Amino acid sequence: MLQLLSDLVHWLTSSAQWSGPGGITARLLEHIQYSLLATLAGAVLALPLGLFIGHTRRFAFLAINLAGFGRALPTVGLVTLVFLAGGLSMWPVYVALIALAVPVIVTNTYAGMTAVDPDVTDAARGVGMTGFQVLWQIELPLALPLVMTGLRLAMIQVVSTATIAAYVSFGGLGRYIFDGLAQRDLVQVLGGALLVAALAVLLDLAMAGVQRSLFRHRPADAS
Amino acid sequence: MPNVPRPHRRTVLAGLFAAATVPALAACSSGVTSLKEGDAGGAGAADSGAGLVVGTANFTENQILGHLYAEALRGTGVKATVKPSLGSREIVVPALEGGDIDLLPEYQGNLLLHFDKKAEETQAGELQNALAATLPESLEVLPYAAAEDKDVFVVTRATARKYGLKSYADLREADGELVFGGPAEDKTRVVGLVGFRERYDVTFKEFKALDASGPLVKGALKKGDVDIANLFSTDADIIKNDWVVLTDPEHMVPAQHVVPVVRSAVADAPVRKALARLGALLTTDELSTLNKRVDVDRKDPDDVAADWAAKAGLTKN
Repeated sequence: MLQLLSDLVHWLTSSAQWSGPGGITARLLEHIQYSLLATLAGAVLALPLGLFIGHTRRFAFLAINLAGFGRALPTVGLVTLVFLAGGLSMWPVYVALIALAVPVIVTNTYAGMTAVDPDVTDAARGVGMTGFQVLWQIELPLALPLVMTGLRLAMIQVVSTATIAAYVSFGGLGRYIFDGLAQRDLVQVLGGALLVAALAVLLDLAMAGVQRSLFRHRPADAS
Repeated sequence: MPNVPRPHRRTVLAGLFAAATVPALAACSSGVTSLKEGDAGGAGAADSGAGLVVGTANFTENQILGHLYAEALRGTGVKATVKPSLGSREIVVPALEGGDIDLLPEYQGNLLLHFDKKAEETQAGELQNALAATLPESLEVLPYAAAEDKDVFVVTRATARKYGLKSYADLREADGELVFGGPAEDKTRVVGLVGFRERYDVTFKEFKALDASGPLVKGALKKGDVDIANLFSTDADIIKNDWVVLTDPEHMVPAQHVVPVVRSAVADAPVRKALARLGALLTTDELSTLNKRVDVDRKDPDDVAADWAAKAGLTKN
């Protein structure tokens, strides 16, 4: 056990491990690239959808259940399916990661929108705001904390699942986990897993920072 | 190749979920324990009235082989029953040593590695001798079959023609030009990139870590995303897609002929005759076809085995 720990520390701290095309720096950057792209694409798809069903209160049943269905899709199966249909590229990975991100963002955005006090939106309409103004100036700012929670949850899930890229021969930190398991190199597996966990925490803290700076002026505005 | 049974296509996917392996292993060991029930004497399974007990490991091909052994034995008048899918080699070989089962279909190279992790023999004859010398006293191997299930590296017909490839040595002609697809362990093992570099002085343009003779690596070879792929020699898709299996003049890959391993106490003349007859008839192509009938056509292993044995004339003495 102690031997394992010291091997792990050595693996994580040796400079040779951090450099080169298979080094930790390169793998970390690949992993961040996969994660950010997939989360961003997920947000671009899911935010308008969540805002739409939250604002109009229409199609919510359909959208929420489709999102639930998306959550139930097994990621490995989806990757294999898209791989067999389309061949060896990053597409299978991105499709699977986006399918993972979208449901969380949609449901959280919708939940945030429905939590807005109907009296407030009524009052906004009463003073002559258009539907778009109500959405943009009243509902969205009030729903923002839950929307951000959705984005953060999606990001964490995507970061941990982006290891799947290694399943179809690509890089990212999953490379260490898949290679280590195949080669029975426990140190490599543990090192990769630790790095993924650390990256997930760091990115979540960064998102928390963004969230705080977004809401800095909130109390003054709201009053 | 690691000293474990070859992962079956479906179990490769299942194996990804590491958590799933723990209950699976637990289930396997309890299965072996339950074999002990009703076997009070301990003199071996053969004495319990069920005839010779053929055990098999937990993947399709091994189950088919177990049923083939039983059919062949019945053909020479030996009573036999099959206990299919008992678990991995780590489970079934101890069950054989303990007398819970009497006979097991095995593979030369992997079986030797199970008993001697440092074994270096690679050719069929050497392996047979090494096995005879290494096995515990209570066990022995009988003559091996023509059929072999080992790691092979295959290219498409077009690639073979383009570079004039017949053997791994010919890959020198395409040195550094081909993309290699195989499971992640191929990067660091002798039956993989290391062997190609050291035995054949061949390097590849790129290594793509995919799966072991599974849907990913075969899909990639089909679509041209990889040029050379690590498959198992009995994979039915090799014949179906007209892929070219390159030969191995330097014996980089240990031979893995199917070989019966039996408790010496029950290996009498009819048993030896039955398995020798089967071994002479069972070729790699035949075994691939049998695998296909179970994995692709969804037939039952026992029906497939009975069918083949009857057609091959093994069921008549």
